[in-house]
Amino acid sequence: MSEFVQFLFNGLVTGSILAIAAVGISLVYGVLKIVNFAGGDFMTYAAFIAVFLSVSHHWPLAIAGAVAIGATIILGLGFEWVLLKRLRKSKAGTLALFLTAFGFSLALRQIILMIFGSQARQFNIDQVKTYGFLGALIPRDQLIVLICASLTIVALGLLMSKTNIGKDMRAYSDNPSLASVSGINVNRIVIAVWVINGVVSALAGIFQGVVQGSFTSNMGWSLLLPIFAAVVLGTIGDVYGALLGGMTLGLVMELSQLPIFFGGVPSSYKPVIAFAALAIVLVMRPEGLLGVKARHI
Amino acid sequence: MASFLQPSFWIFVLAVAGIYVIFALGLQLQYGVGGIMNFGQVGMMALSAYTMAILVITHGWNLYFACFMGVVVAAFGGVFLGLMTLRLSGDYFAIVSIAFSEIIRYVVNNSDGLTGGAQGSLAIPSPKGYSAGYTVTFDKLIRRMSADLQPIFGSWANRNFCMMLITWASAIILMVLVARLEKSSWGRVLRASREDDNVPSSLGKNVFKFRLQSLILGSILGGIAGIYWAMQYSIVTPDDFQTTITFFAWMVIILGGATAVRGVPVGAIVFSFLYAGTRFFNFPPFTWFSSVDRAYMRVIIIGVVLIILMLKRPQGVFGKREEMNLGQ
Repeated sequence: MSEFVQFLFNGLVTGSILAIAAVGISLVYGVLKIVNFAGGDFMTYAAFIAVFLSVSHHWPLAIAGAVAIGATIILGLGFEWVLLKRLRKSKAGTLALFLTAFGFSLALRQIILMIFGSQARQFNIDQVKTYGFLGALIPRDQLIVLICASLTIVALGLLMSKTNIGKDMRAYSDNPSLASVSGINVNRIVIAVWVINGVVSALAGIFQGVVQGSFTSNMGWSLLLPIFAAVVLGTIGDVYGALLGGMTLGLVMELSQLPIFFGGVPSSYKPVIAFAALAIVLVMRPEGLLGVKARHI
Repeated sequence: MASFLQPSFWIFVLAVAGIYVIFALGLQLQYGVGGIMNFGQVGMMALSAYTMAILVITHGWNLYFACFMGVVVAAFGGVFLGLMTLRLSGDYFAIVSIAFSEIIRYVVNNSDGLTGGAQGSLAIPSPKGYSAGYTVTFDKLIRRMSADLQPIFGSWANRNFCMMLITWASAIILMVLVARLEKSSWGRVLRASREDDNVPSSLGKNVFKFRLQSLILGSILGGIAGIYWAMQYSIVTPDDFQTTITFFAWMVIILGGATAVRGVPVGAIVFSFLYAGTRFFNFPPFTWFSSVDRAYMRVIIIGVVLIILMLKRPQGVFGKREEMNLGQ
């Protein structure tokens, strides 16, 4: 029982971080039709800025985090205005967008390495304090992350369902031409997408950095695979699906370590589990968990 | 600067370029003809290289049988990937294929008892108690070849030189075969399916079957490249098979123009010299940075070149814009 609670808690933490990160990737794909390979590196970038300000310059973590969010938004908007806008204007296809995003991610990761170096970084927080709960050990920092991440998820859900900009974004990603003739301002949507992507990537990056303890410039890139799995699982482009896919995968990855599953899958195989879960879902429901129509065959 | 002018270094670069030709040829067949965006090609390389290494080191197989089995396993990797994902649309396929190759790398990295884990092929368990590596037979072949070539090429005929001859000879043979295949009726059906699934389907062609076949053929080419890669570097580690390598291969076919086989060697040579050449950027402004930072800058330059290429000439340096506007 205590073991189950422990893995359930870990699963909720992992799942909520994956869910938040997946929203960014899914939203960018839904509106701009670009698979954002740099998504993971956006996370790393934010985590490094936050760590730099809060540890090296002793800023309060909340302010450092806010600055990191701002910097990530600026990075996304820069990516959009300098590269993506031109690519769309030249009617670039899927592959061109794909490779541009990859080139950007490659360059960004190396720039982070150049500026911040290759040594592992750590947030200046109490990583030792734990609470006992039903026999499980709940670290305080992870509990705070889980609470913040849950609030973020609720906020994202409200943003997408209640506000005009959220509805516009969903309408546009469902049917761009119909949305455009209905008088939706496309430029506004594009900016909103990069702002939201900046916020969620930065939060996911900082959360992951806290949960991981120490991290290097590869943090986001190595997390990209489970994030992609979450995005595809929840039907690519669907924000609610991304949230659901992220939570599902997080729980599956952590709970697979329970001894009842073949004596517990070793934790180093977690990404394999994510992929296996994705493969099973894709074979049974090629449209993803929430998808309604069959994909192009 | 001295090593910049050393021909032996550039022969090494050319030998690796030959491997890239074979590797990227698989992508050219899949994407340039079939329109399949396979980003998991490096996984096939890992499958064949590791299968070969394990069979030779742990089970004492003859090298050539082991190489053959390695390529067979890579082909089955293509079957598996295709059956699982080929019915998905382009973006889904691309993402899942990346995941496929990354999963292979994870498994290789974590199955210490089978693959040697993070230490690579040096740690593959051997019944003799120590690992003699998998290159013994191949090294003998290279030594004989090098001795035979000494009278003609003199001191030039070292290991890399022989390797260069072998990889480029194989690459040329494979290029001729693939080019013929692409001109055949099989290639025409595949090409038609790239533009529009419905046209070949309405003529009674099973598009899925053609795509699966091209994926398998591409995987075989990736497997062959994996064998040469393993021979060239003498050891393999999980880090050799990062997704970045697949993207390098994509850069090769984009540089050369994706629609024609003859673009692949051009792309491979341009890419390899660009990638290796950035090692010698020891003049300002590059000298303002430390040597470690310059190593990072090499990769940044590759990323930037890729982006500029996509912005300025998405059809590739030698490609035709009319034939294919990349994924449209």
